[in-house]
Amino acid sequence: MKYLYKYIVIFALINLYACTDVIDVEVPEAPPRLVIEASLDWEKGTTGNEQSIKLSLSTPYFDSEDIVSANGALVTVTNTTVNESFTFTDQGNGNYTTTLFIPRLNNEYTLEVQYNNESYIAHETLTSIVPLDAIYQSTEKGFDTEALEVNLDFTDPPNIENFYLFNFKKQGDLLPDLFNFSDDFVDGNEISVFYEKLEDEKINQVEFEPGDVVEIYFYGISKQYFNFMQLLISQSIPSGPFSTTPAALRGNCTNPTNPNNYAFGYFRVTEVVVDSYTFQ
Amino acid sequence: MKKLGILFLLFTSALFSQENFTISGTVKDAKNGETAFGASVYLEEATIGSMSNEYGFYSITAPKGVYTLIISYIGYEDIRKEIVLDKDQKINIDLLEAATQLDEVVVESSSASDKLNIRTPQMSVATVKISTIKQIPVAFGEVDIIKSIQLLPGVTNGGEGSAGFNVRGGAVDQNLVLLDEAIIYNTSHLLGFFSVFNADAIKDMTLYKGNIPAKYGGRVSAVLDVRQKDGNSKNLNLTGGIGSISSRIAIESPIVKDKGSFLIAGRGSYAHLFLKLADKDDSASFYDLNLKTNYTLNDKNKMFVSGYFGRDNFNFGGAFESSYGNASANVRWNHVFSDKLFSNASVIYSNYDYDLELNLFEFDWVSSIKNYNAKYDFNYYASNTFKLDFGVSAIYYHFDPGKINPTTETSAINYLELDQKLAFESGIYINAEHKLTDNLTTSYGLRFSSFWRLGGQPITNYKNNQPVVYNEALGIYQAGIPTGDTEHPKGESIESFNNLEPRVGLSYQLNSNSSVKVGYSRTAQYIHLLSNTASVTPLDVWTPSGPYIKPQLSNQYAVGYFKNILDKAYSLEVESYYKTANNRIDYIDGSNLIGNNNIETEILNGESRAYGLELLIKKNKGKLTGWFAYTLSKTEQQTLGGSAGGPGINNGNWYNSAHDRTHDLSITGNYQLNKKWSFGANFIYQTGRPVTYPNGQYQYEGISIASYSDRNSERLTAYHRLDLMSTFIPKKNEGRRWQSEWKFGIYNLYNRKNAAAISFGQNKETGSNEATRTAIFGIIPSITYNFKF
Repeated sequence: MKYLYKYIVIFALINLYACTDVIDVEVPEAPPRLVIEASLDWEKGTTGNEQSIKLSLSTPYFDSEDIVSANGALVTVTNTTVNESFTFTDQGNGNYTTTLFIPRLNNEYTLEVQYNNESYIAHETLTSIVPLDAIYQSTEKGFDTEALEVNLDFTDPPNIENFYLFNFKKQGDLLPDLFNFSDDFVDGNEISVFYEKLEDEKINQVEFEPGDVVEIYFYGISKQYFNFMQLLISQSIPSGPFSTTPAALRGNCTNPTNPNNYAFGYFRVTEVVVDSYTFQ
Repeated sequence: MKKLGILFLLFTSALFSQENFTISGTVKDAKNGETAFGASVYLEEATIGSMSNEYGFYSITAPKGVYTLIISYIGYEDIRKEIVLDKDQKINIDLLEAATQLDEVVVESSSASDKLNIRTPQMSVATVKISTIKQIPVAFGEVDIIKSIQLLPGVTNGGEGSAGFNVRGGAVDQNLVLLDEAIIYNTSHLLGFFSVFNADAIKDMTLYKGNIPAKYGGRVSAVLDVRQKDGNSKNLNLTGGIGSISSRIAIESPIVKDKGSFLIAGRGSYAHLFLKLADKDDSASFYDLNLKTNYTLNDKNKMFVSGYFGRDNFNFGGAFESSYGNASANVRWNHVFSDKLFSNASVIYSNYDYDLELNLFEFDWVSSIKNYNAKYDFNYYASNTFKLDFGVSAIYYHFDPGKINPTTETSAINYLELDQKLAFESGIYINAEHKLTDNLTTSYGLRFSSFWRLGGQPITNYKNNQPVVYNEALGIYQAGIPTGDTEHPKGESIESFNNLEPRVGLSYQLNSNSSVKVGYSRTAQYIHLLSNTASVTPLDVWTPSGPYIKPQLSNQYAVGYFKNILDKAYSLEVESYYKTANNRIDYIDGSNLIGNNNIETEILNGESRAYGLELLIKKNKGKLTGWFAYTLSKTEQQTLGGSAGGPGINNGNWYNSAHDRTHDLSITGNYQLNKKWSFGANFIYQTGRPVTYPNGQYQYEGISIASYSDRNSERLTAYHRLDLMSTFIPKKNEGRRWQSEWKFGIYNLYNRKNAAAISFGQNKETGSNEATRTAIFGIIPSITYNFKF
């Protein structure tokens, strides 16, 4: 929340005076780099045995081509706490899957990827998530007191640092909205988070209407991943002259033999609450 | 005590008058009694001159004889006076404003003062008169000191909507901005669209871009010294105006004629400003209030009280409200010890605070910085070749980086108070201006500054004493591991710093019209503005030096050539500078500065270097006056890993500072057509701001993520615009007390969409990446009505 407040204020101010338009800009081009989207998410209440890892290559910024998938890699995940290994099978489309994964809370996992004679390695701990206490709609909360929003209530466990990630997606929308959250200012409290859409002609965005369905993913995440997502999200929200200087996003997928050839993306192991809400 | 001894020694060695006598007094405007700062007082036959100080006081010493005393001051008629110097005497001078003759040549600047400008070793200085500033076209017709100094070489800023200004590659927080000696922490209203200085209340301003006099300390880049009017001591006077953004009114009046006077000036913007275009319940507004009063007790003693209070208010549909502003107060006492020794003692209070109410999230956030400052400054006019300035200053700071209060019973927010920080800064200085030969004048001085970070708060300790550590495996900087806190009781010094700051200047006069000057200054800065955004914001917080943040130290070298051409109708100034600063903090990637009690875990200490060439050609006389300013410069930073390990920011390579501008050109002109009409224009061209552009993209979590190239390695498109203004003085003004004028302005005439920023993101509908330009002001016409009574 605290990360957001400055953005909100500045964003709103700038919007009042500024006009924005889309322009053509020439940008530099870096050679392709391996992207590892290894999100082993264990949906609360399921066995979590089916998992998938996506490998792709980065492309020039304005390239509108489809994702370039990275095939022919060897992908293994090892639970180093209890020493069990899972091999992910190459599906030939950049996806690597397994149906044998065993999620164990707070256990340490290691990802190893062999691709193009380079090896990449990452470590992560399976982080748990608290259940949602309630999901409900309202109009009086949020930025606009007349617009519909969906609210999620949950209770933060006291006296420990907790980090959360939300992924909201309205059915029919192309892109999700991501939101990261830490319990820094709200430790141990009942917390309510809202998701609201404001009318914005520029991007053809309209407020929620009855019948709209929102898919909700609520993840418990590690501190390291929180920091990564913090930077990722803030860099994907354009905030004009008051934006921070963009920086390289470094995830946890390192290349021990050739450190500069690290991989984009992240290896996360989380517990997730999956839900959806239909506006009345 | 040892320092005082040296001071005394210098003091006495300068006393060597034999058959010399001294004239001293105060230079004032005859019409309103305002004292004149920087008026030249000159004995023609002896070619001995002096300048009046900030309080109009002058002192000049010469051998016994008969002289012509010439007093000249820009915009005023020269005064010539035959004097017989056979005893010490006191001569107060009343200056008459130069009459603007109908359809005749308007004399803008007067000869003697230019001559002295060439001679004084002070360089890298700019004084712009308020009357000149009022002729410069500005957005919405809102007269703006900060915007007008950006038309000078070596001064830039981030464009519209960015607060403050950058001098010779310095950052915004490296400028010392003083209003009647009080530190102003935020110079902007509405995020930089307007400045906090109400031109109707301001008498004069001086900008030191380098070669900063020893009497100033605490900032490494520049000093902007703004002084309020004292208030008309002759008559009741009313000045005001109605503009498209704000209205102004100033009342000045004598309390006791020629003895005391006051000034009260207020300015307020119209609420809801130009937000009607936007949303229903939003509003943004600002106001400020300037106060000043003075009283002359007797020939030797004069008191001043002045104050400033300014505030900005924002309200966004009730979801959140914000209010911030500066407040300052100052009591001063001028005492003339003798006709050679002038002193001023000041007690000053400054405060900057902001309050943010996030009703939406049911909490409120307040933060402030305040200081109490006491100073005692002396001017000692030892002889016609030797002048001494010396004094002491002490500042006590109180930093309140933030308190978070839940505003409702149901708020999920826990109360949080960040550690209050206390500090004490002192300075003692002495500076001599010494004329060695007829052609060579030097200025040499020393400032000794000290800073104590005071107890009353715990300081976190870190493993291996590393608040920031480089994570070798991931290639990122992250917060160090805290190992506990050390409590520091109130009154204890947590850490202290001392610095010697030499300031040296030299002027060699080549002939009566030209001179060469060189300057060197070393400056120290003990407090830092935490800002990791491209432009500083009103919500940024100041922090003192301490165990983990070292004072910034800067060295600046400058050389310049100065020439008056065609009997001072034109002047030429060429300066070149090289400047370095140590311990310039920069922020690790993804740094979080908000509500952070351990700022040291987010920063690395770096250094900066800047160099440039400045050219200023002025036309001072005739119907057309104005100037052409051009700067070619480079400003870079390097931030190594240091004790945190690793290569540092941007792999340890030098990178462009956010305020680096290769070319900066401005042309400012004013044409006096006749008594009724005058026209002003300015054109500005600047290289675009350094930015970081994406060099690739990839899909992650269902969205396109940009990967970025080296820091600040690309640039925004060039910034340029043309502004016009015309002033109309109705004929019916003649012979009546009510004087009025109309100002018609057009800002950004050809409606250029100057990019304040280019943001990269994904189109929510099509999913393709696009670059979005944010442009702030397009073409803005304005009308202002001003009056005087």
